[in-house]
Amino acid sequence: MITVVAGPCGAGKTTWILQELAQIPTPAVYVTPGVGSAPIDATRVQARCPQVEIFDHQSETELLQRLTAGVPAYFELGFQLETDIPLLATRPHRRVALVAEENQETSWQLWADTVIQGNPSTLDLQAAQLWRAPLSGQVFDSPSLDTFWQELTQGAYGEVHRAKGIFEQSDGQAFHLDFMNSLPGNAYTELNLPRCVQGRPNRFSGLEVVGQGLDEGAIAATLKDCYLSDSLLAAHQATLKDSVPLEVA
Amino acid sequence: MNIAVLSCIHSNLAALEAVLRDIDQQSVDQIYCLGDLVGYGPYPNEVVARIRELDIPTCQGCWDEDIVDGLNACDCSYPSLLAETRGHLAHEWTNREVTPETRAYLASLPLTLQQDNLCFVHGSPHSQHEYLLPDTSAFIALERVLATGADTLFCGHTHVPYVRNLENSHLTLTAVHPATPSPSHSPTPLSSLKRIINAGSVGEPRHGRPHATYVIYDTDSQQAQLREVEYDYTQTCAAIREKGLPAIFAWRLSQGLEYAEKADDPTHVCER
Repeated sequence: MITVVAGPCGAGKTTWILQELAQIPTPAVYVTPGVGSAPIDATRVQARCPQVEIFDHQSETELLQRLTAGVPAYFELGFQLETDIPLLATRPHRRVALVAEENQETSWQLWADTVIQGNPSTLDLQAAQLWRAPLSGQVFDSPSLDTFWQELTQGAYGEVHRAKGIFEQSDGQAFHLDFMNSLPGNAYTELNLPRCVQGRPNRFSGLEVVGQGLDEGAIAATLKDCYLSDSLLAAHQATLKDSVPLEVA
Repeated sequence: MNIAVLSCIHSNLAALEAVLRDIDQQSVDQIYCLGDLVGYGPYPNEVVARIRELDIPTCQGCWDEDIVDGLNACDCSYPSLLAETRGHLAHEWTNREVTPETRAYLASLPLTLQQDNLCFVHGSPHSQHEYLLPDTSAFIALERVLATGADTLFCGHTHVPYVRNLENSHLTLTAVHPATPSPSHSPTPLSSLKRIINAGSVGEPRHGRPHATYVIYDTDSQQAQLREVEYDYTQTCAAIREKGLPAIFAWRLSQGLEYAEKADDPTHVCER
């Protein structure tokens, strides 16, 4: 079965797919077209469901093999993308849209076979900015990151509708941070990935922000002020060596 | 006798003027200031000039000291890299901005002021940089009050106003040789009530609202009144941007957040 999932920004598409994947004991496939150098959702899925194969546009041949073999596949479409996927033009698939009741008068409903209640979204697509920052290799000072995230999500750098990111911490853990302006609070989730306690992590981390009037320069500059230098990172990792089994990501 | 106690003005002239207007309406006999006249905000020279004009007895704050002696902070001054970077930017800006006259005045300020059984400090009697938080260990809190010889210690620095009563106060220190049994002892009772009164912050509040806070204390009834004064903080926010300070300071002021510092570890004892 191939399932294509779409919906407004922050509707809860990845969360819904994770719930579905949790019920599939067999290998499955997850595809997120158009995320470029910021595969935040894919990294989250990989950490939660290690049995799931992640595909991007560079591995289309292998993906076609999996689809032909009937491996369950989930395509997650970003809110900014067209809903037509040429790859699936001749393959049967179901279309699932996550849309809140107040957002029902949308093209998502016309497109979908199944509409599932999603988080409400007030994003004005015409005025929306999408800003992404790859952060791979950067390790964050945790109190600084906490301050930055509070400022970002409370509007210090413009009106933020949605923010999500994967950040490496000085204790070697990676966290998924998630904010949606129609939902209360922030979600901080430790990812089930190996701790990196030697040198800089060699895996993806990054930030994606959707909003209006974003001061992208200020966001980038503040992020940079939260990075640990090589010497500070080495000092942190030296204190971890006695307490954490060494694993290099 | 009513006294007003101000602290942590941080170059926020609009906030200071609003507090002074409020004090005018409260039958106050004497004003004391607990320092941090400068730092982060856009009007360091103007704030110092106003305090001098009114001849307000003032003790030296940590920012005042840093402008005189240079940065030499313990970890508690900057609990994050981001706070440190921002603090240094503010320090460098203020250091360029202050006049020699302002700097000389800041250098002349005493570390403590005393009136009868009241003592006034910026952070603690131990250091201008030490935080006496509401949940600092009672032992440390009481030791700091007793060290002054006063019954009531006024401090600032945390930017959150509070009144803390240390009742039935006693300190016991016993030295025991490992080879001998512990001697029995009884605590030595001291004055039954010691108090710490934190005046909050005039110019850089940290209680979630942008309003200025200060304290009025009645020396006869020993009643403390924590006052919160609304003012047009947008003036200060505009000046922050116009004068080239980091724009994030304006946003944080408007939210009732500190510009950069956020000390919240009550177990930390300042090592500066």
